[in-house]
Amino acid sequence: MMHEFFSNLESGLSKAIDAGEASPRKIYARELARLGTRLYGGNGGVAWCGITAPFDLLNAMGVTSCFVEFVGAMLASTGVVGSFIEETDHMGYSSDACSYHRAVMGASRKGMVPEPAFLVGTTNPCSGGLAVIENLARRFGKRQYVLHIPQDQSGGNVRFLAEQLRDLSAFVAAHTGAPLDPDALRRAVSNTNEARALMAEAYEFAKAVPSPVATKDLANYGIVMALFLGTDAAVDIARAFRDEFAKRVADTKSGVPNEKVRLLWIQNRIQFKNGIDDILAREYGASVVIDELNDITWDAIDPDEPFEGIARRSISIPFNGSIANRVAHLKKLAREYRVHGAVNPCNWGCRQGTGARGLIEEGLKEIGVPVLNLEVDCIDSRKFTEGQFRTRIEAFMEMLAGRPSPWS
Amino acid sequence: MNEKRRIGYTCAYTPLALIHAAGFSPYRILPDVDCADRAGQVLHDNLCPHVKRVLDRAMAGSVPELAGAVFMNSCDAMRRLADAWAAVRRDVPAALVDLPVVVNDRTVSFFRDELERCAGILQSWGGVIMSDASIAEGVGTHNRIAERLERLRALAREGRLPGGFPALQEAYNLASTAPPEEAIARLDHIESSALAAPSGDGIPVFVFGNVLPEPEAFTLFEDAGARVVGEDLCTGSRLFARIDAAGPDPLRAIASSLLGRTACARTFDAEHPGGLAETVVTRAREFGARAVIAYTAKFCDPYIARMPAVRDALRTEGIPFLALEGDCTLRSIGQHRTRLEAFIEMMR
Repeated sequence: MMHEFFSNLESGLSKAIDAGEASPRKIYARELARLGTRLYGGNGGVAWCGITAPFDLLNAMGVTSCFVEFVGAMLASTGVVGSFIEETDHMGYSSDACSYHRAVMGASRKGMVPEPAFLVGTTNPCSGGLAVIENLARRFGKRQYVLHIPQDQSGGNVRFLAEQLRDLSAFVAAHTGAPLDPDALRRAVSNTNEARALMAEAYEFAKAVPSPVATKDLANYGIVMALFLGTDAAVDIARAFRDEFAKRVADTKSGVPNEKVRLLWIQNRIQFKNGIDDILAREYGASVVIDELNDITWDAIDPDEPFEGIARRSISIPFNGSIANRVAHLKKLAREYRVHGAVNPCNWGCRQGTGARGLIEEGLKEIGVPVLNLEVDCIDSRKFTEGQFRTRIEAFMEMLAGRPSPWS
Repeated sequence: MNEKRRIGYTCAYTPLALIHAAGFSPYRILPDVDCADRAGQVLHDNLCPHVKRVLDRAMAGSVPELAGAVFMNSCDAMRRLADAWAAVRRDVPAALVDLPVVVNDRTVSFFRDELERCAGILQSWGGVIMSDASIAEGVGTHNRIAERLERLRALAREGRLPGGFPALQEAYNLASTAPPEEAIARLDHIESSALAAPSGDGIPVFVFGNVLPEPEAFTLFEDAGARVVGEDLCTGSRLFARIDAAGPDPLRAIASSLLGRTACARTFDAEHPGGLAETVVTRAREFGARAVIAYTAKFCDPYIARMPAVRDALRTEGIPFLALEGDCTLRSIGQHRTRLEAFIEMMR
């Protein structure tokens, strides 16, 4: 069923793109569909991973890899997540847990998660995600490699993670039967660096006032692009966005007509269909111009020291380390993108993401950027009440309208 | 330096021996003190109540004077606690010590280096400059406490400790918070009052989970007809496991001992995924328990995620299982009375 779904999606998107209806979002979605087709293709060789796994390394080794949260997001976006989450209730999984993780565990019970060849757990970003990897390893009787992502780059932390990455490549080779080809890794690093540079350019364009970015344009972009790092596809997608935003800026075309309010979205988006984007754009001329994870926090990787470079990247992700670092990063984004306010969905069950909402709110308040803290389950649409959200958004937008811009 | 200066801590993986070695007294900030609920201003409602109650205490000023606080990077909630502490108690410096989730040579070495960093921080807070000899002394102090608690645990299991497991929990709390010499003297006194003959009856149960510092909780178990024969809790035996400091590098030995003790759900064997389930079954059998009770703080992801496998393993073995969640208040524990009574009654 899932293979058919992704296959049809890929085919439909390819037809549209070939017919001259290409857009960056379609190119991006087609690559996601291709990934889904490979994951559900029944050909084996799949690795389920944590979010900060080194996907360029895995891609260089020919492994179809994906973070487990993808399954929850996919089921939510297609509107079928409810029954999978409900399945975990029967397992004795507390409803206090993150719905991304409940969804994937429920899906695994219902045979909707392809059996992996192996798994790669990561300690960053969260305890819950790592526990899912362990549970899937137990369920499928497959081996896992756990990457401990240190909290910062001090002392021997980069070396420690780089050594683990070398171990991981040997672990993967033991499963695939093919040792890491240094030339393949070099090509992957080259692609990663090229995609990185293109993404950085696109983000620079996104900072323009008005911004060429509409709320939906870069939803989930930064986090999902990690899956394609190391591949030609990553370069193609990144180039498509860069070119599109460059054109829009040249044409002084904003993502939202008559842009009035610029917003920063903290953490991840709501994954099921909802009316928030339209409310923001149509009623308030507001656009999410920057998402927390749509940023390049790492230097280009030295092809002669790929493991160290990948290690630095993994450690640099904003969810890692202290909240002081995360707040400093959010402040940087708020300044660079000249946002008027921020939205924190506070995904229910996410201790990592929402745990410190008070500290994040305080930090952004220091630079005059108010935060709208929502209480939402970003995956489970059954808990979503649009009316309540509309009221909260209306109040927030009215408050923003009644205060000077932090950047005036 | 004043030898009675305290270092606050909150996790069973804290290197207490190092704190002793630095000349400080470890003080566990237990979530058992009533104070205003203010942590919600900083941390989300769905975060671990243990962490939030510790923060409540910090914000209310209901912790004794501390020279510093050592937090372990054991889970998302503990990491957030370290962040929140730094924001609300700027007068008490805090350190976050990284903690591997899997145990192998590489991660033990990494943790060893983290302990070395922690030792340096303790020194910067006014602790003594550590040497192999002072670390050995710190380990010795920790082990003297651990050995006494081990004997008290054996007495409690045999039914010869006056007051039973509630009294044992009081002893754990004492050892977690009192200066070491005072703790040792009082533990010796408790041991000297051991009964000659066993007392107590009830259905033998094994209790595991995380934070359960309230002695009254164990009284509740006993009142419901259970007889606790063993526990694996981070406010109990897990905190006071002995440290084997043999070897040329005492820090590595401490690292190895801390990571090698009975694991919290957040630590696991990558080669044996979900091994917590088998560990619980094995320990229940070892203790001769007829049933198992899990007690965990709400919103604890490491336990939430592993509990279904524990439930399945116990069901396979035919061992009745009751999972309880609470918010680290006596009130929430009391609300479980009816479930506990029904659970025990079922086995009579």
